[in-house]
Amino acid sequence: MGTVHARSLDPLPMQGPELGVQADDLDLVEPEHEPQQEVLENKDVVVQHVHIDGLGRTKEDVLTYEIADVFRAKNLIDVMKKSHDARQKLLRLGIFRQVEVVIDTAEGEDALPNGLDVTFEVKELRRMTGSYNTMVGNNEGSMVLGLKLPNVFGRAEKLTFQFSYGTKETSYGLSFFKPQPGHFERNFSINLYKVTGQFPWSSLRETDRGISTEISFPIWKTNHTLKWEGVWRELGCLARTASFAVREESGHSLKSSLSHAMVIDTRNSPILPKRGALLKINQELAGYTGGDASFLKEDFEIQLNRRLLWDSVLSASLWGGMLLAIGDKPTSIADRFYLGGPTSVRGFSMYSIGPQSEGDYLGGEAYWAGGLHLYTPLPFRPGRGGFGDLFRTHFFLNAGNLCNLNYGEGPRAHLTGIVLRLGNIARLELNYCIPMGVQSGDRICDGVQFGAGIRFL
Amino acid sequence: MSLAAEAFVSQMAAAEPWPENATLYQPLREHQILLSDCASSLAVQAYLRMCNLPVRVSCRANAEYMSPSGKVPFIHVGNQVVSELGPIVQFTKAKGHSLSDGLDDVQRAEMKAYMELVNNMLLTAELYIQWCDDTTSSEISRPRYSSPYSWPLNHILAYQKQWEVRRKMNAIGWAGKSLEQVYEDVSQCCQALSQRLGTQPYFFNKQPTELDALVFGHLFTILTTRLTSDELSEKIKSYSNLLSFCRRIEQTYFEEQDRDSQSGASHHSKGPSLI
Repeated sequence: MGTVHARSLDPLPMQGPELGVQADDLDLVEPEHEPQQEVLENKDVVVQHVHIDGLGRTKEDVLTYEIADVFRAKNLIDVMKKSHDARQKLLRLGIFRQVEVVIDTAEGEDALPNGLDVTFEVKELRRMTGSYNTMVGNNEGSMVLGLKLPNVFGRAEKLTFQFSYGTKETSYGLSFFKPQPGHFERNFSINLYKVTGQFPWSSLRETDRGISTEISFPIWKTNHTLKWEGVWRELGCLARTASFAVREESGHSLKSSLSHAMVIDTRNSPILPKRGALLKINQELAGYTGGDASFLKEDFEIQLNRRLLWDSVLSASLWGGMLLAIGDKPTSIADRFYLGGPTSVRGFSMYSIGPQSEGDYLGGEAYWAGGLHLYTPLPFRPGRGGFGDLFRTHFFLNAGNLCNLNYGEGPRAHLTGIVLRLGNIARLELNYCIPMGVQSGDRICDGVQFGAGIRFL
Repeated sequence: MSLAAEAFVSQMAAAEPWPENATLYQPLREHQILLSDCASSLAVQAYLRMCNLPVRVSCRANAEYMSPSGKVPFIHVGNQVVSELGPIVQFTKAKGHSLSDGLDDVQRAEMKAYMELVNNMLLTAELYIQWCDDTTSSEISRPRYSSPYSWPLNHILAYQKQWEVRRKMNAIGWAGKSLEQVYEDVSQCCQALSQRLGTQPYFFNKQPTELDALVFGHLFTILTTRLTSDELSEKIKSYSNLLSFCRRIEQTYFEEQDRDSQSGASHHSKGPSLI
């Protein structure tokens, strides 16, 4: 009996970032000490059987889609490559803790001389997993308790429950996710949630209870999401001193909306990318499926990144959006756009640009914001190759405006700062801002400004 | 805001004169407002008219949620927001408008006692009939209360409100009462008011006070609102001096004032007339 010998891989182009995990696979293929050891060069082979060991709850039919390609392999490299791909696909399903691949010569009566058996040894995740973590969102921290049931019905369906207790809000959510067998990117999910938010810049408190269903699917290089959402929104004043304009918005409303989002993302990383571009287009139509909020909302986000000399990155972004009320009813404060703060137009206080009443920002029906950034390594590069690589110096020029379609020239800010990349999850910024143009009513933050978040202009 | 700052703000507010654009907010008159809210709103309007303070009435579907106390009506004067009759009386007093200044301490205590009686009996009875009587709640209260909202929010909010009122009734021991007992309570309350009023034009002789405004608001609203049965208004109709008291206030403070002021249309807020 023969065993695939690691040596046979040496002359093959098996290196590169995509196949980086290959080395793990090879470790598993231990040479067995059989009397007749045969070294298989890149021979033509036939994959006769594919076994999956270690299945418990998982239904086999889901997995056959993921591993089908392995049968199509014509030679040994193909088998290795396709087994590796299949392993990645299996891991992506999020139902296995571990997947190991063993490739062996075929055994049994019908075994061909060049036949191979591929065995995937999998270890399923537990029926239920719990988690506890602390989250940093857009200028807010929260403690999250989660309960996850991966693979509820055996076909990679996922049921998650989250309860989060935050510095500003307490919320919970229940979601059910189901991918289409064989096409993990095509998936369907239902969410039930309650979110409470406090918005001191508007003296507003909002409690949303809602249900949403969404379908995601890729078309060519784009990713699309179609969503229906029904939300019961309860608005109230944060304090007795809230302005009357905010008080007038208090009360209950029901929004039922259909939305579509398209994303093209070729960036190498969502946090401090070095290259690639992002285009996000989002449109929402509310009111045609019931509810008492009627509007059409469009917004987009573009980001382009380009690598320059000495590890510097030039990044340009543009955001914009428009909200049109349908019918006689004016738009709600909860639907309008907000701009300003360390994650959007730096140099301004959080969401403190645009129309306001007695110091409470009311949001706007249209906005744009642009940014030009130059990220460079720290001067003299301390801690190079290690800790120092997490930091970047950051020069930027931000501009933006938020208005109700007839507001004047927009505010601007010009700033420099240092950015810290926190793992692959978030980024922290410490900026020195010099606002260059401001409109009356906008609250500026002259000097040092700290920002933490996920989505940045 | 600190207490000191709040006190300072109300001091400042007191110094300002009553503005022309003072507004009273209440739920939508035609399709939404319920007996108890209508009565409270009318009491405040009557009080302000007695003080000769002009106020514009604005109907909003979300009036209840706009109110800082969650109860209607509330008034927006300058940059101050004050809800319910008690605080509004205090607020006007701070601005130098009061109806009960001429009373001595005994009379003032008596007035407060009767106002408590009206709030505890008439207002609670109105809430009981609206939300605890199944016929009234299903035919009138829930559909009216939820009329501005779309399905399924209308049902959620109406039942939420009903549950809230029933819980309150439980807490004050009214949940076990039958409709007849409630009518009996109303009748007793009216008898007490009728005896106190006697043959005087107002409860404290010639000058109206906030008690008169409160009693008028409730009695007038009960008399002019159609419910599933007439029993509630019949209870009041048996006290002729209360009827003529309502008629007197309506004539003096609503019809005559409206006739006097040229912008009568914006002040018309009381609804149907007694005759």
